Amino acid sequence: MIAIEGLSKTFETSGGEPHLALDGISIDIPKGQFLSILGPSGCGKSTLLYIVGGFVPASAGRIRVDGRAIAGPGPDRGPVFQEFALFPWKTVRGNVLYGLLQQGVPRDQAERRVSELLQMVHLSRYADFYPKELSGGMKQRVAIARTLAYDPAILLMDEPFGALDAHTRTKLQNELLSIWERDRKTVLFVTHSVEEAVYLSDRVMVMTPSPGRQKAVFDIDLPRPRIRAELLLNRRYQEYLIAIERLVQDGGEDEA
Amino acid sequence: MTRWLALPGVPPLLALLALLGLWHLAATFFGYNFFPTPGAVFKTLPALFGEAEAAANIAASVKRMLAGFALALAVAVPLGLMMGRSPLVAKLVKPLVATIYPVPKAALMPIIMLWLGIGDAAKIFVIFIGASLPLLQHSFGGALAVDQKLIWSAQAMGLGPVKRLFAVVLPSALPEVMIGCRVGIIMALIVMVSSEMIARQSGVGNLLFNSADMALYDTVYAMIVVIAAIGFVADVAFEFVRRRLTFWAEIHQDPLVPSA
Ligand SMILES: Nc1ncnc2c1ncn2[C@@H]1O[C@H](COP(=O)(O)OP(=O)(O)O)[C@@H](O)[C@H]1O
Ligand SMILES: [Mg+2]
Repeated sequence: MIAIEGLSKTFETSGGEPHLALDGISIDIPKGQFLSILGPSGCGKSTLLYIVGGFVPASAGRIRVDGRAIAGPGPDRGPVFQEFALFPWKTVRGNVLYGLLQQGVPRDQAERRVSELLQMVHLSRYADFYPKELSGGMKQRVAIARTLAYDPAILLMDEPFGALDAHTRTKLQNELLSIWERDRKTVLFVTHSVEEAVYLSDRVMVMTPSPGRQKAVFDIDLPRPRIRAELLLNRRYQEYLIAIERLVQDGGEDEA
Repeated sequence: MTRWLALPGVPPLLALLALLGLWHLAATFFGYNFFPTPGAVFKTLPALFGEAEAAANIAASVKRMLAGFALALAVAVPLGLMMGRSPLVAKLVKPLVATIYPVPKAALMPIIMLWLGIGDAAKIFVIFIGASLPLLQHSFGGALAVDQKLIWSAQAMGLGPVKRLFAVVLPSALPEVMIGCRVGIIMALIVMVSSEMIARQSGVGNLLFNSADMALYDTVYAMIVVIAAIGFVADVAFEFVRRRLTFWAEIHQDPLVPSA
């Protein structure tokens, strides 16, 4: 379980003006929950995720994971970035293998696990390709497999499908859901697509425009496993979409 | 009809032939004894390599150049990478570099010779200084530009700072470091020759200037050809290594000097 309490972040800008990016975020995320964070561009979604990841220090407030305050990054929290951030000098296999070897997993065991993961993300045929030889969707599959490899209890996904075309995006959403349904990791998923947030999540947190504050938190009470085609006719699904869309719309100007 | 012109290797060969032709014409036209024709120069080359003394001089030069460059690689690349990742290290090292940068490295030779003598140590040291600056500069720039998310990904996997420097920062910066290497190896050659001109004891620079003193002009020109050849071979070898080390990079800068 992740406990975020009174989290604020102020950036020192090069102009000298302090810039308040996050203001008093408090939320508990139970173990195994899929939480989406929704809000306009510039409202601090990435910053929130980076702070939970331990990559960026908070200005105020605290974050505890299973009761312990976080101190920097760790393999219990695995990031997946919109820009993929693969190691370009490593093959697909090399990328996925690397974190496992870092964790001290014996090589033959690690190799086996990598083969399983690549099969899971449908990339077995591309094991020896370099990132520059892959499409965006393939790169993001590799990035997800690379993070899953070291088995973090928490996934921190920052608009992971934001750079992909609609078709690939839908496909990867479904793949992510089936992976999640299998091992039920805690997921913090940043997006600015209402539809994506509702489709994937147990809970959706909507944020205000900058400085980012919590505007509302919705429990998404829809049956799982979720099947997109069936949801489209689900009355409650439609109501969630409408309610959240309204809330996001009256948030004022999008900064992007 | 002109298609053979576009074959790889043909344009540089033509340029080389034109250069030699011009040289020959000019040398014949002026007829100065200190301006031999290319034919006369190239005739002395086999003799030069046959001579034990000349061959030893060339070997001594190449050995010092490689030693100085290797030392620069071992020191300047890690230091440059650290500067790129740690503002504190950058703040400490930058003033030092700014002080040494504008000084012609050969001008340091008298002081270095006082400290290290006129032998190999002084020359290797000054080559090391000369080759270090471009290596430091490009390693620094390359490390500054490393994608922060690669670093974070590695941190999440549990890599500590030292391991990240060599396993993430170095490969990320490698295409840029390689550009520094290319400049550095030629700097090493330049400083090598000037160090041998100042502390004449052995080496191609020593041979060149001794020959000039003795009015052996064919040898002087032959030594210039030898020095150019060392530079060319170093550059081609380097480009060969670079392609093999950074083939995975998205952008391929086409170098100004086309090599094999
Ligand atoms: N390193 C930084 N320095 C200064 N300001 C920053 C920095 N990172 C983000 N910000 C600011 O913080 C706010 C939130 O940014 P971000 O978390 O990237 O928003 P989002 O991911 O929701 O689009 C923005 O106004 C942005 O300009
Ligand atoms: Mg963002």
